[in-house]
Amino acid sequence: MIRVTILALLAVLPVAAAAQRGDWPMPAKDYAATRYSDLSEITGANAGRLRPVWSFSTGVLGGHEGQPLVVDKTMYVVTPYPNVLYAFDLTREGYPLKWKYRPPVDPNALGIACCDAINRGAFYADGKIVYNLLDGHTVAVAAATGQELWKTRIADLSQGETTPVAPFVVKHRVIVGASGGEFGIHGWVKGLDLETGQIVWTAYNIGPDSEVLAKPGTFRPFYDRGAELALTSWPADVWKNGGAPVWGWMSYDPGLDLLYYGTGNPAPYNPEQRAGDNKWTASVLARRPEDGTLVWAYQFTPHDSWDYDAASEMILADLVVDGRPRKVLVHFDKNGFAYTMDRASGEVLVAEPFVDVNWARRVDVATGRPVVDSTKLTGASRGNVKNVCPTLEGGKSPASPAAYSPRTGLFYLATNNMCMDYQATRATRIAGTPFIGATTPYHAGRGGHLGAFIAWDASTGKTVWRTTERFPVWSGALVTAGDIAFYGTLDGWFKAADARTGKVLWRFKVGSGVVANPITYTGPDGKQYIAVYAGIGGDWLLLSGDVRSDDPADVRPPADFMPDIARHTSQGGIVWIFAL
Amino acid sequence: MDLRPLVPALVLSVGCGGHEAAPATTQLAARVFAGGVAPPAGAAPALANPFRGDRQSAAEGERTFGAMNCDGCHGGGAVGWVGPSLRDGRWRYGGSESEIFQSIYYGQPHGMPAYGGLLPPGAIWKVVTYLQSLEPPASVPTQSWK
Repeated sequence: MIRVTILALLAVLPVAAAAQRGDWPMPAKDYAATRYSDLSEITGANAGRLRPVWSFSTGVLGGHEGQPLVVDKTMYVVTPYPNVLYAFDLTREGYPLKWKYRPPVDPNALGIACCDAINRGAFYADGKIVYNLLDGHTVAVAAATGQELWKTRIADLSQGETTPVAPFVVKHRVIVGASGGEFGIHGWVKGLDLETGQIVWTAYNIGPDSEVLAKPGTFRPFYDRGAELALTSWPADVWKNGGAPVWGWMSYDPGLDLLYYGTGNPAPYNPEQRAGDNKWTASVLARRPEDGTLVWAYQFTPHDSWDYDAASEMILADLVVDGRPRKVLVHFDKNGFAYTMDRASGEVLVAEPFVDVNWARRVDVATGRPVVDSTKLTGASRGNVKNVCPTLEGGKSPASPAAYSPRTGLFYLATNNMCMDYQATRATRIAGTPFIGATTPYHAGRGGHLGAFIAWDASTGKTVWRTTERFPVWSGALVTAGDIAFYGTLDGWFKAADARTGKVLWRFKVGSGVVANPITYTGPDGKQYIAVYAGIGGDWLLLSGDVRSDDPADVRPPADFMPDIARHTSQGGIVWIFAL
Repeated sequence: MDLRPLVPALVLSVGCGGHEAAPATTQLAARVFAGGVAPPAGAAPALANPFRGDRQSAAEGERTFGAMNCDGCHGGGAVGWVGPSLRDGRWRYGGSESEIFQSIYYGQPHGMPAYGGLLPPGAIWKVVTYLQSLEPPASVPTQSWK
């Protein structure tokens, strides 16, 4: 009798499924942010036979950044604003929807988001899909039913905060941050309770130690000494609107119990309005996820004068550096340098340019500081500073995360080959409006091509191979145990390359430029599948000229540095699945 | 004294003053206010541009366009950025001087903040004068490639 009751209960209550080996439960697949899968059905011998098996229009135009999740035979897709959440049943013919979740989202967010109304995806934990709405809310939805479990306001649109970042869940903490480096926000991360959505802690990235959660005896940066570093490296009160948004990717080392994330640019772009290093903008911060305590921090670009956000992922790997096995994090910064760091201490072990760099000659690993070329320093009094490499799009965009294969020992990433002129002007902070103060036109770098997909050796700081692309490359990377690296291009090709040589083995035109991150998973039939979004946007909504056709009141001239991109792509929004 | 009954009459008198009829003002319940300041409640400002065609006012409006961070969304020279171009003769919310004024004063959905609490009507009219001084393209664009 009792047994029957329990069985009946089990039939009613959805049981939270644990992610399986062939699933893709979080943005970068694992806590180490590798975007590596040990699936190996697709290899160099058969990748040429990949074919599309399914596609779905999201019904939304604009930058489709981020990636789907796959857990328990279901694929979860978050769209750009208005942030629809789709759940596709992978066990049925044609993958019909199990449910879709349609939250209300404040359209005012569209004017506060700097660079298109993008979303970087969801996180699966404990039977919940957790993601951010653009208008400053985090939601948790039951993975089985689509029912909203909680919704928490985390950010304030009227202060210029929006929330396209993907949440990151460690145990019972949901870690979130806000964008707004172009709106003079006071950047932060918050820790929410996974069960209730309640905000448990808030840690600012700039300001007094009490708000940064830098506690005496606990906070030990490798290169800096003293207290109130994030206050004394700013003019009085300027830090209150100093930026340091959190819009990239997070990672976590369970052994060290450290959460890693990068911060964005200081505000405004005109550096003469904010003398000092401006800590901890353009930095990596290591915190305890439970209560937000800051353990160490390192600033990649002190007193950033070029909008070099450090929002790119921190990939955790075990590498041999100078003959010693090291637990490292590897970070490809917008500023053009790739950093290999000791992830326990924050010491820089290797810092070498992965694209052409001229704002600094090198990074001095003894002091941790870049050796800056003073002729490339910008500011309103310096006029138009010509030919700074790379551009503020980054040598690599934080929007396009790299992948790491423990099989090849290499990192795979999309890069941009562009330089900029930088004319700073004085900016005024008006809450809820842009706080920028620079005009920064781009031109192609050496060789004339605008992008490349490369393989990088982070032990030595050297490029192993490079495939040039005509346009900037803005997709994330995926690498598999079949030794195949996947990426997409701005003109709408999705490609499979040999991870050891870079040779492109297969490509398919997906209907719109790719600014998303490919994933791979095992289907219910046991086969290996690859999925990616098409949908040009993000910064490329602003920069590509006439790639939108949905608004007769918004017809743009071609971009001067890539006038024919609109010949190859327009906006779109398509989920693609490929298999052998 | 309650002035509210006078407001429709005021708007009506503007409409009869030889300018095109003023549309009803739109007050959205929720919006972003520039600087956190809401436009004053009550009387709608007069809807005829006192500076129409004045080059000095247009130049002042251009400076305001930069100083109030309009260029942060609409681009330097109003050529378009995350927000649409304001110099191509195409208008999502209407391109008459009164419509442009109201878009700035009250804001618009999809992200345009309300500046009516931050700028006096005269300064907004100068921004309108600047935008209307920009010459739209002579022809409908066609792109062709070889």
